[in-house]
Amino acid sequence: MTSEYAIETVQLGKTYYSRFRGRKIPAVSNLSLRVPVGVKFGLLGPNGAGKTTFVKLLLSAVHPTSGTASLFGRNSEEPEARRPVGYLPENHRFPTYLTGNGMLDFYSALSGLAWNERRRRVPELLELVGLRDWGDVRIKKYSKGMLQRLGLAQALIHRPKLLILDEPTDGVDPVGRRHIRDILDRLTGTGVTVFINSHLLGEVEAFCEYAAIVDKGKLVLEGKISSLTAGRGYRITVSSLPEQVLTNLRKAGAVVVPSSNGLQIQAATCEQSNEFIDIIRSAGGLIESLEASSSSLEDVFIRATQTGKAA
Amino acid sequence: MTSELHRSPLGVFLALISDTVQEARARWLFWGLFGLSTLLILIFLFVLKIDLIQGAISIMGIATTTQALNVHAFVMKSYSFISMFLYVWGTLLAIFASSGLIPSVLEPGRIALLLSKPVARPVLILGRYIGNVLIVGLNHVYLVGAIWIIIGLKTHMWEPRFLLAIPNCLFIFAVLLCVVTFIGVVSESAALSVMVTVALIVVSAILAQRQFMMKALSSEWSRDLWRALYWIVPKFYDLATVMMQTIIFDRNLDWMTPLWTSAAFGIFILSGALYIFAKRDF
Repeated sequence: MTSEYAIETVQLGKTYYSRFRGRKIPAVSNLSLRVPVGVKFGLLGPNGAGKTTFVKLLLSAVHPTSGTASLFGRNSEEPEARRPVGYLPENHRFPTYLTGNGMLDFYSALSGLAWNERRRRVPELLELVGLRDWGDVRIKKYSKGMLQRLGLAQALIHRPKLLILDEPTDGVDPVGRRHIRDILDRLTGTGVTVFINSHLLGEVEAFCEYAAIVDKGKLVLEGKISSLTAGRGYRITVSSLPEQVLTNLRKAGAVVVPSSNGLQIQAATCEQSNEFIDIIRSAGGLIESLEASSSSLEDVFIRATQTGKAA
Repeated sequence: MTSELHRSPLGVFLALISDTVQEARARWLFWGLFGLSTLLILIFLFVLKIDLIQGAISIMGIATTTQALNVHAFVMKSYSFISMFLYVWGTLLAIFASSGLIPSVLEPGRIALLLSKPVARPVLILGRYIGNVLIVGLNHVYLVGAIWIIIGLKTHMWEPRFLLAIPNCLFIFAVLLCVVTFIGVVSESAALSVMVTVALIVVSAILAQRQFMMKALSSEWSRDLWRALYWIVPKFYDLATVMMQTIIFDRNLDWMTPLWTSAAFGIFILSGALYIFAKRDF
């Protein structure tokens, strides 16, 4: 079965119920997303936005309460749908009684790699992630960064067509991060779809071509990163404003961010900036500066998660 | 060839079994199980090395009439001791040692990665289960086989009935492991798995006293309830009795009834564990 989408979810939802009261807790709500084959895609969202639940739904570790998830056109609940997938979970716990070699051999066997191929691929992957000399050492001796690289080797060993990485550089020092990024950069042009779930905006912006932002389990923004950040905005700087004025600004769609000079009020359009200026001036507020600016992914993220609107 | 292997469940099963064995090796409890078996074997070697006829027999406290009879009585007593030791203590120790092997695989961060593989969920648990049975089976073969060979070499009595202890002890362990697996999947607690399984053994032994209880219970409904419960739970006590009677006295007792009722219980419980595991969110 072939599909132009590596990942496709339709109205995907997951609701948990509290144990005793039976209260509904929606983790993911009607989330429809398409990730084309061969792209680098970043999933962004604040803590508790439902990103990890979404990834677990894709891998069928969590069963959906509504909607469907497909991997390369196949329902993700079918084990065969997960054969072309390499996955690095967040907060992974690899069996500490295994050596690096043993761990890669075990998980690649589960991925369906034949014994003779495993024998060849295990040293290759250890070499790739810079752990060639550590293959015979038990995992419990590995540092956090080494574990993360070993996890990446595990995800890559069976030559997946889709790589799902959940916070791949979380807790890794800058050198380790660089190493992981270098490994991922080598996948460029190989046709492998990379899906990164991260809260590190800079990394997603630097590495991914597409991004989606989820908040409170809902998709609030999706598109090419270059398009998302292309829109020009306006930044109004004020020293301070009464709380009531800030509330009025937020109601009007402003994103208010504290800065070293006071407060920055971000507006997406020229009309919006004029509306915000009227609100500030009518309340007697003093505008210190007004400047046009292009949005960074961080601006887009803050705007999307604070207002639920696109930039 | 490669593509066939890619879709063969055998490689996956072998990997899961091998992983279980490796984890068991890393746990000291399993070394304790094999260490205890080794200690028993060494004790037997020592006893037989002292003096088979005069020394060992007097140690075992067997009344003597003729030498041939003494040797036979000694061998039978040894078989009886080892079989029951393995059946009761071996099973309890094996349950204790196995109880952590299911919850450990359900730890967050470990289960998510396992579930991301193209493996059906029941296979993950079945691989663990079979690996566990295999380890305990190896221990049983090691202990019973070594004692059988030692006694055989010393006394030239090769009584194959003693070897029935291996499948019988392994069978009851396999049935009880279904309970360990079920509780492990539901609660992710090794301690609770042991508690429930040991409680089941005790209840099973009590329920097996039905001849006495049928007379002791006053109402028909309580007798029916007792009988119903007796048929439901695994026959830990009955299988021990049948095994001892067969090994020591070569009596042809009814193996099949306790066997199939216990097997049915195990299959039902294990199926429940697999079903719950397949439906759970991790």
